[in-house]
Amino acid sequence: MIVTTVVCPHPPLLLRELGGGQDPLAELRKECGAALEALTGSSPDVLVVIGGHDTSGEHTERIAPVREFGGTGERVPRERTLPPSLGVARRLLDDAGYRGRVEMATVAWDASAAEVGALGRRIAERTERVALLVLGDGSARRGSKAPGYLDERAFALDEEIRRCLSEGDRGGLTRLDPDLAAELMAQGRAALQVMAHALADVGDPVRPEVLYADDPFGVMYFVAVWPCASS
Amino acid sequence: MLRLRGREYDADTTLVMAIVNRTPDSFYDNGATWDDGPAFERVRRVVAEGADIVDIGGVKAGYGQRVDADEEKRRVVDFVAAVRAEFPHLVISVDTWRASVGRAVCEAGADLLNDAWGGYDPELAEVAAEFDAALVCTHTGGLTPRTPPHRTRYEDVVRAAVDDTVALAERAVSMGVDPASAIIDPAHDFGKNTWHSLELTRRLGEMTSLGWPVLVSLSNKDFVGETLDLPVGERLSGTLAATAVCAWHGAQIYRVHEVAQTRQVLDMVASIRGVRPPARVIRGLA
Repeated sequence: MIVTTVVCPHPPLLLRELGGGQDPLAELRKECGAALEALTGSSPDVLVVIGGHDTSGEHTERIAPVREFGGTGERVPRERTLPPSLGVARRLLDDAGYRGRVEMATVAWDASAAEVGALGRRIAERTERVALLVLGDGSARRGSKAPGYLDERAFALDEEIRRCLSEGDRGGLTRLDPDLAAELMAQGRAALQVMAHALADVGDPVRPEVLYADDPFGVMYFVAVWPCASS
Repeated sequence: MLRLRGREYDADTTLVMAIVNRTPDSFYDNGATWDDGPAFERVRRVVAEGADIVDIGGVKAGYGQRVDADEEKRRVVDFVAAVRAEFPHLVISVDTWRASVGRAVCEAGADLLNDAWGGYDPELAEVAAEFDAALVCTHTGGLTPRTPPHRTRYEDVVRAAVDDTVALAERAVSMGVDPASAIIDPAHDFGKNTWHSLELTRRLGEMTSLGWPVLVSLSNKDFVGETLDLPVGERLSGTLAATAVCAWHGAQIYRVHEVAQTRQVLDMVASIRGVRPPARVIRGLA
């Protein structure tokens, strides 16, 4: 039974030390903190994290892969680090001071409708109080300086995701086109669809809220909180 | 030992490669040498300032206007021929990833093919071998030409740069390129974020120790800008600092916008290393 769901983005820059002397994502970080407060404050028995990645799978590592992106600390072998999206989640949870039980899994960027449906249902069928943290981004093609250059279609796709998140429209999220999302480098598509399916049993969220929706560096970031009726 | 067609250089000789863009949209000069006249003026000026090599490029590195092979040839081939005619002894490099362009410029007199996109067109090495031209083998982390890094990560960026560039160099040699003409380039900022480029600079000795000549392209790049929080146009001091560190580690070729300043830094570091006598020493010795 899901009690609260939160969406956060997973740029490596949310690993604070990678931003260098200044924090390029201070405002986003603040809103992620507010969302995590809502999530961890919902008294969950278990906090489930779903993040996009190259492949789907469960993860029990504890370390964010900071050194692969930069920094100057000790190098950690890849097999001992979390996939990047889950590493960002781990860090957000640590920053929020959350000490409860956490289960982490990835969903492949290119997961099919059947696969995201199955992953979502597995979460929906759980009987404990589940807090769900979903890591997913919008398009990375929102300008000529964006990682994937400008593709005008990015704006409509991201606006549709923002609308779904602000209205609690689960059906809208499940209808996002995987091929279009892939073309637009919208890495959060699969994870957001797992979330939509995970709420199958508890139904639409009550008072869904988007805390942040902006693209300071050409990639669309969303922070959203979906409190559920069961909370 | 470094060999650029007919010319040979020992390992302590450093060479300045001056960038000459035949593009309307490159990040640093914004089309200043797009027309033939200004481009020729640029070549004459950098030669007067002491450039050892000119690197002529017809395609902007980043996203931008599409440039196919025919358009790229229109931008560079005749220009290479004209530079060759005016400067018979100047080393001419062309920045291209395309074998068809490489062939045309070698026929026009180019000595060096600067494959900035890391072997994207595998036939470029064959062209270098056929014309006895030198070849720059760069590390891009597998990027498609003209795309920037997005959340790229490496278990060890220096290891990746060494493995990929050496593999490209060995492949080129197997196809007939002279080992002294197979140059490796870690390619700062290509497929790398600022942290990665800083680490490559810090650990460049792990590349220079391999025996292949090393080229570095640092000039005014984003890793300098992000490190010092400075826009394009205010990155010379940072570029020269990185240049000094690479020179200390033994890089041989420096691809640059500012020739005279780079030459001074390279001479200064060479003297600190003890491989170049100071120009004129009097203090305390008279």
